[in-house]
Amino acid sequence: MVDETFLAEVQALASALDQLDYFGILKIPQTATPADVKAAYYRESRAYHPDRFAAVPDAALHEAVGRIYRRVNEAYTVLRDDKKRTKYLADVTGPERTRKLRFTEADEAQVKEAEKKKIEEQFGQTPNGRKFFATALQEIQAGHWEAAQRALKSALMYEAGNAKFKEQLALVEKELDKTRPKGDQFRIK
Amino acid sequence: MSDDIAVGIDLGTSYSCVASSLEGGAPQVLANEWGDHTHASVVSFLDDGTVLVGNTAKKNIITNAENTVYSAKRLIGRFFFSDEVKKAQAVMPYRIVEGPNNSVRVEVKGKNFAIPEISALVLKEMKAIAETALGRSVTRAVVTCPAYFNDNQRQATKDAGRIAGLEVLRIINEPTAAALAYGFGRDVHQRICVYDLGGGTFDVSILEIGKDVFEVLSTAGDTYLGGDDFDDRIMTWLADDFLQKHGLDLRQNKFCLQMLKEAGEQAKIAVGREGSAQIHVPGICQSPEGDVIDLSQKLTADQFNRMVMDLVQRTFKVCDEALQSAKMTASDIDAVILVGGPTRLPIIRNSVRHYFQKEPMAGIDPDEVVAMGAAIQASALLNARAATAGQASYLLDVTPLSLRVGTVGGFTEKIIEKNTPIPIEKSKTFTTSRDGQDRVRIRVYQGESNRAEGCELLGEFEFTGFRIGYRGEVQIQVTFEIDSNGIVNVSATDIETRQKTSTTISLSSGLSEQDLKKAMEHNADIELARGQRAA
Repeated sequence: MVDETFLAEVQALASALDQLDYFGILKIPQTATPADVKAAYYRESRAYHPDRFAAVPDAALHEAVGRIYRRVNEAYTVLRDDKKRTKYLADVTGPERTRKLRFTEADEAQVKEAEKKKIEEQFGQTPNGRKFFATALQEIQAGHWEAAQRALKSALMYEAGNAKFKEQLALVEKELDKTRPKGDQFRIK
Repeated sequence: MSDDIAVGIDLGTSYSCVASSLEGGAPQVLANEWGDHTHASVVSFLDDGTVLVGNTAKKNIITNAENTVYSAKRLIGRFFFSDEVKKAQAVMPYRIVEGPNNSVRVEVKGKNFAIPEISALVLKEMKAIAETALGRSVTRAVVTCPAYFNDNQRQATKDAGRIAGLEVLRIINEPTAAALAYGFGRDVHQRICVYDLGGGTFDVSILEIGKDVFEVLSTAGDTYLGGDDFDDRIMTWLADDFLQKHGLDLRQNKFCLQMLKEAGEQAKIAVGREGSAQIHVPGICQSPEGDVIDLSQKLTADQFNRMVMDLVQRTFKVCDEALQSAKMTASDIDAVILVGGPTRLPIIRNSVRHYFQKEPMAGIDPDEVVAMGAAIQASALLNARAATAGQASYLLDVTPLSLRVGTVGGFTEKIIEKNTPIPIEKSKTFTTSRDGQDRVRIRVYQGESNRAEGCELLGEFEFTGFRIGYRGEVQIQVTFEIDSNGIVNVSATDIETRQKTSTTISLSSGLSEQDLKKAMEHNADIELARGQRAA
């Protein structure tokens, strides 16, 4: 059967679950690589998977192991997903740590929102902004710097604050500068 | 301690298989008294009150049509109003009627049976076969189900086991069982794909397997797609052709339909084996003038392949979905395992080879591998030494469908994502919307649609016994738990008092505890007939 020390360990861990974050549950540092996360998951599964104790007639043990392993699965589900992990790490290293130990559906919704925003920021949030930016990208490809400059300035008319547009405009204007003749050739002498 | 044994049972749509793994050794399929390894999932109620189950019952599908039930797995756990049940009603020679709470019942010889009761008769036969082969009583089993089965279907399968007098240690997914049988004791480190095309269902699972850990990365499926659908195509072709030649529609008569079905099934197998099939059913029906007409037709492999091409393509759409969920491509797969009789068809083997750009693994019996995997797991669950020494194999499976809760306007909100490793739990806080509200009701669904009508309803849960207060003041934390069987449990606590509320389930199509006890008694009273083996 199962020895006393192990039972005590399991009970202790089961009670401490709510004080640990997901890194603590999997016993890995916050810098763990994806391979580390998987190896840790396998290690914890070998220790606490409920099937291992299926033949032991101890209801308290089953209850404790069940609670531990469900939390292990929860931790793995979040930490193996890059986006969720990034958000989770930010949450648990911030001031709201104790409240944020468990990743909730509100957090999942936030991750999705962040994804959407990133895509919008890349290519524009308004239809016209997006249209002009797409045109600008094509002109840049073809090396038509002036046309690109015009398109980007138009895009910025619709989205004055778009960082990506401004960044591209700076690059294009740098290219234009190179082609412009230097000096005061047109100065009226 | 080591006197206790458990068997593994593959409860299939068309065929079932039982295996055991003694002392944790290699699993062995248990044969019946005629040496059969697989047994038709056909239940025939005979005139003398006994019930004939298995291969000898198959011919009764034609000779005793109204009293012979087959492909019950297509109906198990489904609502009466579902498409699959409606389709079955039109085609099956046995009577399918509505039961309480939109459930399904089968009416045979004036008696009503719930679908788990029919499957329980198949399990009763498997239990008997095991007991005869092992020379001792068998009361515990691991029973398999398609990976894509929802909670209703899983619960009904578990109920079937109970009704048959078996303690069901676990319901495990068929592809996972196959992967376990494949990888057990081999110490291979691979990413494998299990392509499981059974009689009525199709599953794909992507797993990462190692020496002792079998991790399911993703699973996808279609519970409306199987070998039976391939038979249907041949049947339709034969019936249309017959209609053109003789002006008679064989599908209008359930007797003719059964003969057509058998002809279709034989033709499918013959085309697969020989490249063409000669179909001949003498005297399939009579014309209004009284002439007896034969059905005669030739089916070539090309014709067959064209008829079923869309079904085959559907299977690869499911493969795409599974690979996408696992964030992999077909070329990332190291080995492909084929499970299920229909995977013997050349068109399936060729398409699989083409899609994965590799030959499917040889040396795996597609009819027996699932039962063997179940037997390995059954033995593992009884192994008391595992608690200290660890298990020989760990199955890390996932839930195939997202768990959702109903919100206003007929929408649903996701609680647990599909392909989440199980067992798992998630909590959501609900609050009261009226002052003095004493009960909170939620509806729980499974599926990927954000509309309730696009999902499967698991039930309506009502919580009572919490502190009564002003609206918005009382917070109820509802915990949704999915256990290792993939079965959902819902409970709730009053956040402030930390007291568990009482939970009542309604609108569920499953059997009540009372119904189950009655069904168990009834099943125990039924005598299994020992059929006559044809010479």
